[in-house]
Amino acid sequence: MKTTAFTKTYAGRTVLSLPELELPQACITAVIGPNGSGKSTLAKILAGIERADEKRQILSGVSVGYLPQKSFPFRMSTEKNILQNGNDHARARALMKELGIDSLAGQSAKKLSGGETARMALCRILMKRYELLILDEPTAAMDMESTLAAEGLIQKYCAETGCAVLLITHSIGQARRLSDRLLFLQGGKLIEQGQTSQLLSVPQCEETKRFLEFYGR
Amino acid sequence: MGSSVRKAIELILSADPELLNILSTTARVCLTSSVLALLIGVPVGILFGAERFPGRKVLLVLNRTLIGMPPVVCGLLFYMLFSGVGPFRHLHWLFTVKLMILAQVVLITPIIIGVMETFVADTAPALRETAKGLGFGRLKEYRLLINECLYSIFSAYLLSFARAIAEVGAVAMVGGAIAWKTNVMTTAIMMYTNRGSFTLGIALGLILLSLSLLVNIILSVMQGRLSR
Repeated sequence: MKTTAFTKTYAGRTVLSLPELELPQACITAVIGPNGSGKSTLAKILAGIERADEKRQILSGVSVGYLPQKSFPFRMSTEKNILQNGNDHARARALMKELGIDSLAGQSAKKLSGGETARMALCRILMKRYELLILDEPTAAMDMESTLAAEGLIQKYCAETGCAVLLITHSIGQARRLSDRLLFLQGGKLIEQGQTSQLLSVPQCEETKRFLEFYGR
Repeated sequence: MGSSVRKAIELILSADPELLNILSTTARVCLTSSVLALLIGVPVGILFGAERFPGRKVLLVLNRTLIGMPPVVCGLLFYMLFSGVGPFRHLHWLFTVKLMILAQVVLITPIIIGVMETFVADTAPALRETAKGLGFGRLKEYRLLINECLYSIFSAYLLSFARAIAEVGAVAMVGGAIAWKTNVMTTAIMMYTNRGSFTLGIALGLILLSLSLLVNIILSVMQGRLSR
């Protein structure tokens, strides 16, 4: 699927200006870039949470699932939170087990720790099939073990559903482990895009090289 | 003082008919007005907190002004509207329980709107982002928002009930504190104190304080349960 070109301006300052983006099916596209590069704004615009300046749909006729950086736990048990997004109890339990929160099924989601909430939120979004799944730093609050389990689940979901996944991440390591394609944003602009392995090993632009050197390839 | 308190307790235990009448009138006025205020205030407060529409800020300022409205001013307004020269004089509501309830609804509703608006404005953006991200429709989004608000609704109700039961200015002006008809606890305390009859005044004061304690106990217990 393809997005149209769009811009986003806040108080007269253009924070994002992107050309058409291709988001292939059954493919994980990671978005990396420094703070303030527009990664989360891109995610919110594609998810329809915020509107681009053009006031039209950037993706039309596509079912989009979006996991924000800080997902909201509803005032109910962990399991009920997950079942809000689908009635498949077996799938909910399997997802919880894979992420190690099956023992917290009956506990109030409001009482979960940050990492547990992040795992619950990931289980919840993976309950439904979307054509495009946008994940904004889904593992930022998780420890390494949970991060690896979460990455496995995301890969499995992408392969099973054939959906396009857009992964916003700060971790170059995660982008390398998980993504097939990579977009590098800086200052609200798309600096470079390509196959993950190629972009990380042979970056073409100076900005990308500097960023990768700073964060470590 | 000590003997007055003892006599007051005896009066409560003896189920004095006048005391019972005052208590039943108070319950009727306060329960009805607080429930009506809740029915109006909760949806309006949620709407003010969750939605952005032209004129919202003006309405919020107006509501905050109404929260601070002195009860006697409210009483005066209703007195003028329903007295012999007012536009609603033909209803003959002055010095009736109906007008006392109406005046209290006007006093209490802004408090409920304020409590709900503050809570929802704080909660709605994060909840909406998550709900929208999951692909939920507006109806489901609102259902989840109301579920988040249960404790706030409950505490707004108790707050409004406490305000209603402690209020004296408006009910005294529009009710006239008529014995066996419109006399409620607060107006009765004033009346008996002015007459120098402290015993009944202290008895009513003790009941009022006990009710306030009860309301706070209920609030604390429910806070624990609803936050789960």
